[in-house]
Amino acid sequence: MEQPTFEAYIKKFDGYLQKYFPPKDAWTPADEAVYKPHDLYRIPLKEAEDMQLRSLKWTFNYQYTNNKMYQNFCKERNVSPSDIKTTDDLVKIPLIPDTFFKDYPTGRDFALWLGNIYTGTLPKIVIKQKDPTFDEVINAFNETGMVVSYSSGTSGRHTFIPRDRRTFNISEYTIVKSAVAMIYPLWDYSMDGMLLMPNPKRTNVYAGKVCTIFFDAIHDVQVAIDRDISTDLIRMTMSGEKGLKSSVVQYFAKRESAKMVDLIIRWLENHEKTEQKIALVGAPFILAFVMEKLQREGKGFNFGERGGVATGGGWKAFEGQRVPVVEFRRQVEKVLGIPEKYCLDLYGMVEGNGWMAHCPEGHYLHMPYSYYKGLVLDEEYKPVGYGEWGRFAFLDAAAYSYPGFISSGDKVRMLEHCPVCDRPGPVLEPEVKRAAGEDIRGCAEEVRRMLSSDLSSGE
Amino acid sequence: MVTFHEMKEKGYIPQRTYAKLMIGGGVTLTKTLLLNPRDLKKLRVVHPGEERFVRPPRPYEIPPYHAGMKCGVTTEKYLRPTLFCDPCAPDIVAMAHALGAFQKSDYEYTKAAFEFVKEKLALEIVPMNPVDETLRRGSGTCFHLITVFIALCRAAGIKARYKMFAMTMIKSWYDALVGADPLVKKWYDSMGYFMIEGEGEAFVDGKWTVAHVGPTAERQASAGIPITTFGEDSIGAWFFPIPGTIMTMESIPYGLGGSTTLLKRIAPASMERVNISIQRQEAMGHKVIEEAGGVAAYDAMARKKLGPKGPSIGLTKPQAISFEG
Repeated sequence: MEQPTFEAYIKKFDGYLQKYFPPKDAWTPADEAVYKPHDLYRIPLKEAEDMQLRSLKWTFNYQYTNNKMYQNFCKERNVSPSDIKTTDDLVKIPLIPDTFFKDYPTGRDFALWLGNIYTGTLPKIVIKQKDPTFDEVINAFNETGMVVSYSSGTSGRHTFIPRDRRTFNISEYTIVKSAVAMIYPLWDYSMDGMLLMPNPKRTNVYAGKVCTIFFDAIHDVQVAIDRDISTDLIRMTMSGEKGLKSSVVQYFAKRESAKMVDLIIRWLENHEKTEQKIALVGAPFILAFVMEKLQREGKGFNFGERGGVATGGGWKAFEGQRVPVVEFRRQVEKVLGIPEKYCLDLYGMVEGNGWMAHCPEGHYLHMPYSYYKGLVLDEEYKPVGYGEWGRFAFLDAAAYSYPGFISSGDKVRMLEHCPVCDRPGPVLEPEVKRAAGEDIRGCAEEVRRMLSSDLSSGE
Repeated sequence: MVTFHEMKEKGYIPQRTYAKLMIGGGVTLTKTLLLNPRDLKKLRVVHPGEERFVRPPRPYEIPPYHAGMKCGVTTEKYLRPTLFCDPCAPDIVAMAHALGAFQKSDYEYTKAAFEFVKEKLALEIVPMNPVDETLRRGSGTCFHLITVFIALCRAAGIKARYKMFAMTMIKSWYDALVGADPLVKKWYDSMGYFMIEGEGEAFVDGKWTVAHVGPTAERQASAGIPITTFGEDSIGAWFFPIPGTIMTMESIPYGLGGSTTLLKRIAPASMERVNISIQRQEAMGHKVIEEAGGVAAYDAMARKKLGPKGPSIGLTKPQAISFEG
């Protein structure tokens, strides 16, 4: 079959996803920067810079005008929309530390907290419980059409972000468009997909929820984890929490994981017998477990150029088993027979709506620079130039329902261009690390560390 | 003899969250200890040639107590004596007067008490004891130190209370050290329940003002964090409690004293090692402050690194949100 042009390929893709587009007559500069470009990573620099400035100016003004909390935050820093005139002024936009979204109250106050960080007019929300759980509050918000989602909270605390439908649509559309653009010409609506994530319809975990669009982007999707995932369940399985209830949950989670690995292997075996294109999309550690079992059993596949792998979301509780991205791609090629150019990782955060996607040529993380400006901050939180390591921060014009101007806890190095491919925009080094945190130890922590270290010493 | 009513009233009976953490921790730790009895030996043995802990001399004098010195304690909540905290103990009263009780404004006095406890008393892991003993020794755990602050406030007629919370793990350390060794992980995780930290709070000028008296400037410098001032909360800055675990209490509850005594009994060598490690941190912090050009210079530098604070958020009720029931 003849290979479609990139334009035809994306046009066809957009055709399936029309429900994620706002009506064209209601497009803001941010919508234009997201939906207009065919390829978010190949916009000529000058054109992208104009789009970026226009969209970020518009969104900053929108947040300043419609979010009292953020307006006060800006006023304390003597910054207002009139200060943002040129691209150089964008760094003046006040950044909210990501820890802010991890510092929330419980019960009914949690609903108020979400309501107070929300930008714009809230829909009518009714909380029925006297002392609601996080999930009960989130479900009450989401019944109105909003999409409140959260991070996996590996460190014991979730990040909660309230998105309206418009913001969430952008988040979903851009994640899948980023991957589809980078794996050109592999995507085809008729391909089959395995989602290595919880069923998006049964969880509010952002990494899972944002994959809802996968069901619209290809015709047949199977999910690896098809059960309800609540904040409590995540806490008990991810944080290593002890106790009877947690132990029971962890025991069943382990059993379910083994079943999940078998299910994915069966799916791969079935697809090996066909000519069908396949896509494995989701958490890298799940695919790593699958490949580990296949290797243990001396099995392997050869999907060749009809297979693609897109990972994201990091290694979470399995950080200790992390495989470097280069090694991971080699394993995918060796065990599944999928070429390295079709094994890509996407880097994004629950707080943002921009996806940095590996290019197939060099696997550098490309930034969607028409609506999203990445910054690298030094130890004193001042922006540094290209080539320097530092804390990642971003200005996200696509965040309507909360201020998406955020400094993260990730350590990155940004380059002006990809050293390998010819896409013109900025990139991040392929592997993202955690920035070193402050290490304050209270007295209980001092005792705990010493006892742990003494008890496990080999003497 | 304390009556049941008094126990309940003063908060000697642990709050639900606290009790849950303690019971859960007790069960898990007992199970781990029972399954690994040989490991226990390691907690008791100080090896020949190993460094021993020597408590440094107390860096302050306790002024003499004179009969007739006023003590501000009443029967009112947060102003009365509680477990391990007798504000009218003579040494406490004398120190309160030396710090300006009944002479300075409430704010000035509590600030002086905060600075005294934070910078003059050292962190040392010892069993819980009455507050005047802590003052005489010049050291204690964060709960000893908070108790001294609270006693000094109550002695001056200023309401004061404890704020306790359960901590999440410190991810960077956990990934680097704990996650790498399954044995360390096993022990570290089973002690997770006991990760209770605390601060003091004094009722000054109509509001509760936080006093994070636990770490000295040197210990904070050794960790690379700014030096906490009076009224500055460690929560949300470098302590991130597990949501829903922040508790305010009039008294240290039953159980905390017993658990620290038990710890000393079963793990005397480990406790000694903790105290030596704390002394090393103090020395390291001293060097860091010196190299930075003094406390103020160090603090300014550390605050820059801490990054900007997040927005402040008032929990006003948006009209669109309604609560039933």
